[in-house]
Amino acid sequence: MAMTFKDKIESGRFLVCGELGPPQSCKGAVIRNKSEHFRQRIDAVNITDNQTAIVRLSSIASAKILMEEKIEPIIQMTCRDRNRIAIQSDLLGAAALGIRNVLCLTGDHQKFGNHPESRGVFDLDSIQLIATVAGMNEGRFLSGDEIKTKPEFCIGAAANPFADPFEMRLIRLYKKITAGAHFIQTQAVFDLDLFARWMDRVQELKLSEKTAVLAGVMPVKSVNALLHMQKEVPGVRISPEYISRMKNASDPKEEGIKIAVEIIQAIRSIKGIRGIHLMPVMWESVTPVIIRESGLNRL
Amino acid sequence: MPNKLVTLETRTLTPGERKFSRFLLFFEDLIKVPLFRCQRCGECILSSTGFTCSQRCPKRLRNGPCGGTGDDGSCEVYPDRKCIWFLIHKRSKWLGRLPMLFDIKKIHNWNLERTSAWMNVFWKRIDPPILFLNRTQKQRKIHGNDIQR
Repeated sequence: MAMTFKDKIESGRFLVCGELGPPQSCKGAVIRNKSEHFRQRIDAVNITDNQTAIVRLSSIASAKILMEEKIEPIIQMTCRDRNRIAIQSDLLGAAALGIRNVLCLTGDHQKFGNHPESRGVFDLDSIQLIATVAGMNEGRFLSGDEIKTKPEFCIGAAANPFADPFEMRLIRLYKKITAGAHFIQTQAVFDLDLFARWMDRVQELKLSEKTAVLAGVMPVKSVNALLHMQKEVPGVRISPEYISRMKNASDPKEEGIKIAVEIIQAIRSIKGIRGIHLMPVMWESVTPVIIRESGLNRL
Repeated sequence: MPNKLVTLETRTLTPGERKFSRFLLFFEDLIKVPLFRCQRCGECILSSTGFTCSQRCPKRLRNGPCGGTGDDGSCEVYPDRKCIWFLIHKRSKWLGRLPMLFDIKKIHNWNLERTSAWMNVFWKRIDPPILFLNRTQKQRKIHGNDIQR
């Protein structure tokens, strides 16, 4: 049998994750088509769970389709739409379908999506969700009742090194790892100095030994996408060099790929980093290009 | 063994207790609402969050800020407000109670919503307030604000 994502983490190899956004319709073929981009040297693919609170095909269903294409999925699970009953039930369902990786998130507020008038649940938060999944792995529901057949989830969590207050971010990372996270995916890195300093602190707290930290890399198509990230998405820091380079580029797409490759090379030399998480927004086709250009396929 | 993750109902509230809770809540509100803008979750964690009510967060997060805190400490959902966790961090630091934020807070028991937290502490339904740092908390050190240039 092929190696699971957890085996790959334990093997100590440099990890590469991709990201796939399910369509806003019931057309499963879209996922099958997109899966072609992840054939080359990808250890697992994140499937977003109604990202930015916009209704999309369910992440568990998408994961099932992806598994039929022989690609290992990481489902994202948010606390925005489900209470503790639905979360535990969905996790059991995912485990029954053979899904082994779950990324635990609090979720974007419903105000930002296409149903801003909806009721946000937020029964748990991401840290409590990690602890819940860890408890289920040990065979206990939140109520304390026993699970006869235990799921075996590899638990992921997100970290944002770039948002204020910085100390709280480290505290939250500490909590997530204490709660039982096996791997961490960070927010997109566009400021390497700041990221390296953050990573120093993570190592000081001896957190990178207990978990695999994967740095987020986001290739951008245009300078407008970069400026939008800086203005609209809180907690994203972009060094001015990249903005001016994107502005002056004759072919912005080519320049975006070049910047992403450079960031990957730099990240690989930072101590304690165990892999990268490629997250192009609605540009999945760029994933194999970046992997080839940065030489990750030869690792 | 008490559950570490959820405040489980050890005993349902009797009608008498409910009446008493309402009576006590009147006085609790007189103090907590003007001072902390208490949201009456009935499971008070004020003492470990820098005496700032975390339940004022739009997502009602009990374990720290979401990724949406702006550079000026504003809330992502209501940009005219301050992120409550930004304030909790500031005040906890000022009071020397930052190490308390390392502990994972329990999942909210919604049966305790709108009951008197004082009564719940007295009947040992919820954890008592923390007055001082304990030994493990004193050993925790964090300095991260100089990460930013």
